[in-house]
Amino acid sequence: METASSAAPLKRSLAQPPSSSDASGDSTLIDIQNLDFYYGAKQALFDINLRIPDKRVTAFIGPSGCGKSTLLRCLNRMNDLIDGTAVKRGTIKVRGVDIYGRTVDPIELRKRVGMVFQKSNPFPKSIYENITYGLRIQGVNNKTRLDEVVEKSLRGAALWDEVKDRLHESGLGLSGGQQQRLCIARTIAVEPEIILMDEPCSALDPIATAKVEELIHELKKQFTIIIVTHSMQQAARCSDRTAFFYMGKLIEFDETRNIFMNPKNPQTEAYVSGRFG
Amino acid sequence: MPPASHTPPAPAPSFAIQKERTRFLGLTLDECIQGFFGGNAVVAVIVLGLITLFLFREGSSFFRQNQDNLSIYRQAGLEYVDFIRTQEESHTALTRYLSDLRLRALRHHMDADGLAVADANARLASFDEFAGRFSDAVEPIRGLRSELGDVAVAIKTRHINNLNRIQQRAQLVAAGKPDEAAAVELETIDFAGEIVALTATLPLYEEASGAFATALNEIVATPPPLPTLELTARVARFQELTADYVATFPATIEAMRAWDHTAPVAFSESFTAFIFGREWLTASFWQDWYGVLPLFTGSLLVSMIALTLAVPLGVGAAIYVNQLATPAEQRAIKPTIEFISAIPSVVLGFFGIAVLGEFLRVASGWEWLAWFPGFPFAERLNALTAGCLLGLIAVPTIFTLAEDAINNVPRAFKEASYALGATRLQTIVRIIVPAALSGIISAVLLGLGRVIGETMVVLLCAGNRIAIPDFTAGLSVITQPVHTMTGIIAQEMGEVVPGSIHYRALFVVGLLLFFIALLINFVAQKIVRRYKISVG
Repeated sequence: METASSAAPLKRSLAQPPSSSDASGDSTLIDIQNLDFYYGAKQALFDINLRIPDKRVTAFIGPSGCGKSTLLRCLNRMNDLIDGTAVKRGTIKVRGVDIYGRTVDPIELRKRVGMVFQKSNPFPKSIYENITYGLRIQGVNNKTRLDEVVEKSLRGAALWDEVKDRLHESGLGLSGGQQQRLCIARTIAVEPEIILMDEPCSALDPIATAKVEELIHELKKQFTIIIVTHSMQQAARCSDRTAFFYMGKLIEFDETRNIFMNPKNPQTEAYVSGRFG
Repeated sequence: MPPASHTPPAPAPSFAIQKERTRFLGLTLDECIQGFFGGNAVVAVIVLGLITLFLFREGSSFFRQNQDNLSIYRQAGLEYVDFIRTQEESHTALTRYLSDLRLRALRHHMDADGLAVADANARLASFDEFAGRFSDAVEPIRGLRSELGDVAVAIKTRHINNLNRIQQRAQLVAAGKPDEAAAVELETIDFAGEIVALTATLPLYEEASGAFATALNEIVATPPPLPTLELTARVARFQELTADYVATFPATIEAMRAWDHTAPVAFSESFTAFIFGREWLTASFWQDWYGVLPLFTGSLLVSMIALTLAVPLGVGAAIYVNQLATPAEQRAIKPTIEFISAIPSVVLGFFGIAVLGEFLRVASGWEWLAWFPGFPFAERLNALTAGCLLGLIAVPTIFTLAEDAINNVPRAFKEASYALGATRLQTIVRIIVPAALSGIISAVLLGLGRVIGETMVVLLCAGNRIAIPDFTAGLSVITQPVHTMTGIIAQEMGEVVPGSIHYRALFVVGLLLFFIALLINFVAQKIVRRYKISVG
């Protein structure tokens, strides 16, 4: 029933102990090698090599159009939904499994790799139905189980106290920040391993942003988080690693501290010090 | 507009921001353009207003004329005679039951007993004698009704001729020919005196009715033997029906005794006679009826058949094109479906008569389609044929609007659903269609509006039988010929005298159609507006 049996090969591999670790001792969860990605004839990513550590927050930064969102959407194969896109070269392995492999079902992949979008997008349904959607489509209809998951996910997204009395009202009636946390709750309800966040705070005011950032700190205990952001302060505040992209290329990837305090590449330095971008 | 002379003295040339605008009839170019577009909008509104006004003006006097129509029906005694006619018609229905019974018995003799036609008929001799006596028993009543009917029609004719002469005289006076006007002879009709000729026959009728009842009871008491239990049960049922029928006789006599030709016809009766009238009967030698119910139910039946076909096709195609089709398929399917609406409906009507009607009739005879309600049928033109074509006409409307509604569902919903591990089908069924539902419903409503107003196809293909479809036949009602509100206007408007009651009745039917269309559009707009708010 839930996280159906067809996911078995991927799931089993995901459960295996990490195969490698990087210099700082963190184990690698996602291993991207020599990735070239195209929108039709236009190449968007050039020879990306990146190892994303497990249970850490990794930030992708860079000016608009640098390919950071594209790479993020490669990780749960959301780009498949756009006609004419293709990975022409290279591999993306999650715990050693190539997610673009022929036998991989993108539906199963997306159950393991959740995503939060730039603009909060709750379904035009009740709060309760928004959270249970991911389970219901997997065939879970047990009321007790759904109730548990709703409470757990809303607590996990620090939203429970604010909405517990109106679970059956429309999710569209919440404020912008609450809607975004509802989307996070909806994502963690299906218990993914990785959460992708595509500029989750760009439409939020500073207070709502602070709440989401606080939440990210909490979530990284359980999940591996990859966040695309335009705000360098945000990257500095909440990520462990930062990758800087420019013109579809990965320029530099290091500990966040190093990227901001001691960048090795002059382009990175120019960007983080605000001289362009 | 401030005249040019009011402009303050020009400032220093270094800051020359003032400019004299070209004016045309005192208006700037911008104002002219604004006036042109505004004028177009006003014209559209005025035309709509004029149409409404015209329909009301032409239709409004119908109800007064119909009131007159109904009061003549009463004054001339036609209503009185119709008591007897109703009784006679119920008897005819009973004889039809008997002929049906005979057919079943004959079939039994031929199929089960293996007799030839002549032998089988011979076996039924006693039944025939029984049926004959039953059928003949009504003759005295029928004779009486016929005589009284002649009297009533004569009174009505004299009255109407007199009305015509009054009109003629008024016209002559208006034309300034008082001499000729005076030459037109008028008569005063003494309804009370004339009607006595009818009411005086009541004792005669009571006697005939009594004899009729006795005769029926006597005949029915000794039914002929029939071969099977099932048929014998039917005979018993027939006896019951006859007993019920005879039991209504005293009530009929009572009603005739209480009948009063001077009782006024209320204005509201003219209204209810139109809205709930079960008969649309015009140019009759007896009495004209303008009841919209057969036409309304006909329109409704055809529209429902059309929607049953068009909703799955239109909505299904919209979902496919918007969510599943490749760009190449989209480019092929959308214009093709939209092209259907470009086919003139009279051409579709021809197609319906020549191809679809014939095809459906043949198909209805196929063995493996026998489960379909109403199959097989003999009438080539019926509600089903018209409904199929109307469905085709509604598909583009429903498709285009439903596709719009689905297209308006934010892409973010779809992405969120996929990101949670939903399949395409789950996303469509659980997210996209519910989010677009109000848009889809209003698309269906506008499709209904399109179908109810369609004229040519129903006129050509619906069979044009003016009768309320027999809904007791269950679903097979869809294979009956019907007439529609639009069809009747198109068919009869050409041959009515302008200003006559029939002419006005057609306008009122048009008015009713107008209001139905208005209501449907109003509801559809309401739903769409709510939908826009909910998606934000």
